[in-house]
Amino acid sequence: MAEPVLELSNVTVRRGMGVVLRNFSLTVNAGECVVLYGENGVGKSTVIETAARLLPLEEGAVKHNGRLVYDAEGRSVNPVNPFGLTLQANCLVPSQTIQQQLDNVVAVCGKSCDFNSVLEQYNIGNRRNDKIAHLSGGQQRKVAVICGLIPGMVSHESRLILLDEPDSGLDDASVEVLIEQIHQLRNLGHGIVIASHDKRMRECATSLHNLSVVSQQEPKHSKSWEVSATEKSYPLLRTKIGWNLNLTTLVSVQRNWLAALLVMGCLLSIADPLGLSENKMILMGFTLAPAFTMGLVGDPVFKILMEQRSVDWWRAQSNTIPNSYLESIISGIIFTAIAMQIFIQSTDYRVILIGGFVTLITSFIVRFLQMSTVRLPRNNAVFIRLLTPVLILPWGLVVDYCASL
Amino acid sequence: MRERKGELFLIAGFTGLVTTLFLAFNWVPSVNINAFESPEAQRIFYWHVPAAWAAFISFSVLFAGSAMWLFKRNELGWKLHIAGSEAGLACGLIAVWSGCIWGAAEWGTPWDWQDYRLNSFALLTLLALFLVLGRRSQPDGVESRDTFATFGFYGFVLVPFTYLVTRIWVIRHPGPIIAGDDASSISLEMRLAFYVGVISFTLMVIGHIITSVQITRFEQRINRLQGIIDGE
Repeated sequence: MAEPVLELSNVTVRRGMGVVLRNFSLTVNAGECVVLYGENGVGKSTVIETAARLLPLEEGAVKHNGRLVYDAEGRSVNPVNPFGLTLQANCLVPSQTIQQQLDNVVAVCGKSCDFNSVLEQYNIGNRRNDKIAHLSGGQQRKVAVICGLIPGMVSHESRLILLDEPDSGLDDASVEVLIEQIHQLRNLGHGIVIASHDKRMRECATSLHNLSVVSQQEPKHSKSWEVSATEKSYPLLRTKIGWNLNLTTLVSVQRNWLAALLVMGCLLSIADPLGLSENKMILMGFTLAPAFTMGLVGDPVFKILMEQRSVDWWRAQSNTIPNSYLESIISGIIFTAIAMQIFIQSTDYRVILIGGFVTLITSFIVRFLQMSTVRLPRNNAVFIRLLTPVLILPWGLVVDYCASL
Repeated sequence: MRERKGELFLIAGFTGLVTTLFLAFNWVPSVNINAFESPEAQRIFYWHVPAAWAAFISFSVLFAGSAMWLFKRNELGWKLHIAGSEAGLACGLIAVWSGCIWGAAEWGTPWDWQDYRLNSFALLTLLALFLVLGRRSQPDGVESRDTFATFGFYGFVLVPFTYLVTRIWVIRHPGPIIAGDDASSISLEMRLAFYVGVISFTLMVIGHIITSVQITRFEQRINRLQGIIDGE
């Protein structure tokens, strides 16, 4: 008997003020494809997002490949196997190229693989080195769909693939390619869940589910997908991805560095460091202010991932998402060294190192606060930064300590 | 009359607050001029400390309401969360603002970023401000309720910290006086005016909580009726 790749056991999920799923259960075995259909608001996307660990459960539990990934008691465990996920939002990083986006997904799967032929099938092979922001809406959707299929395309073992409205915005030829690939991946032994209004997608199903009635059907016979990926390990993957995102987008330069430069400029405009040479505490405050400011601006990678809900894709795959910790500490060190030269005209490696950690820890706390509101429907509108003044006191204590060195 | 209970508490509270002001400025004797830099400014004490006390009550209501929502999905819990955060914000702002005026007169500076008590109390007030503004920025739903209730629940840890911190570190803010070791140094008139202030602020907070719960109930009823009209 085929093993279940997904089990939703008596899950109850609320969205807004309503209960969307009540004691809902669904099991998807290896080699099965369940197509969810029904009118808007019936709960198709809620099933997909629940299976992807994105919505908190009021009751019940979710298992991937027989292992609990989260439940109503608050337990949340990273899935052992990466799974395919395409949400209604594309979850792409617009400043990356198609190649970089696919490379990240393949790296999460712990594989190495070339996707040229797949891109050609979707007629975007010639755009692989273009930034996603430069693609049309339909082309972006194709990339999002390929990202959702990749965990299945690179693995012989049973994987879970969740696709929410994958056909939305695709041309007819691409929908046919997608349907054929879903057949092939199912034949390889992957378990697939699709939410769709498009009747053509029902052709893929071994089970049709309208969230109350299930009907079985015999899918089209097709060959299996041929896996051509090789194993590859990616140590410190999320830090590396964060570093690459910073390098390719220079987002930390335009956000964190600029803020630090502005603060240094403002401080220089109101005070002459030579005239303050007696007051070591104030000079040390001036020295550590740029590092603190960069931290308060927040993690630049988090800002990038908030575009197109990319952060949700990462949250689904793992409890940790790409970060810019390495960049934070380096920026903090650089700007503290510069500020020290400007304001104190000397070099103390202990203070410079402390400056690096000030940026790192401040940035980490700001990111933690932002992450805690990521579930909100309008998370950009929430006033979470009102809580950041809590960091002024510890910063003041650090300044005090550094002045005593 | 039952529906007017909140308003009665509010009227009693406001009357008491005005009385406290009158007593503080016209009846209570001045403090020892050698013990204070600015003895007359000390009269702010009769509003400052009761406001902080009322803020602590509000934050306790916020904590209880948040816990009731998070663990029991209790509608009354959510209403108490809203009422507690609003009352906490109002009383917290009064305490911080009056403290700044007093601090400017007594210490020569309205604020000290290195004083634990000032910072932890300001953070509590900012937490309440975040909850009030944040809630208004979001559509009502379980996602926003869970998020804000989590902040209200864990933010309560600041209440005992804020209360106890001046017993451990006295940096600029003085330690406890009424409930502390120096209680005997306060005259009967001072105590009386202080207790009128405490009772008044407490009545005002109770009145606000009752009224806020009623308003939230009406809002939810209107939303339900709106949904029926919209055919949901």
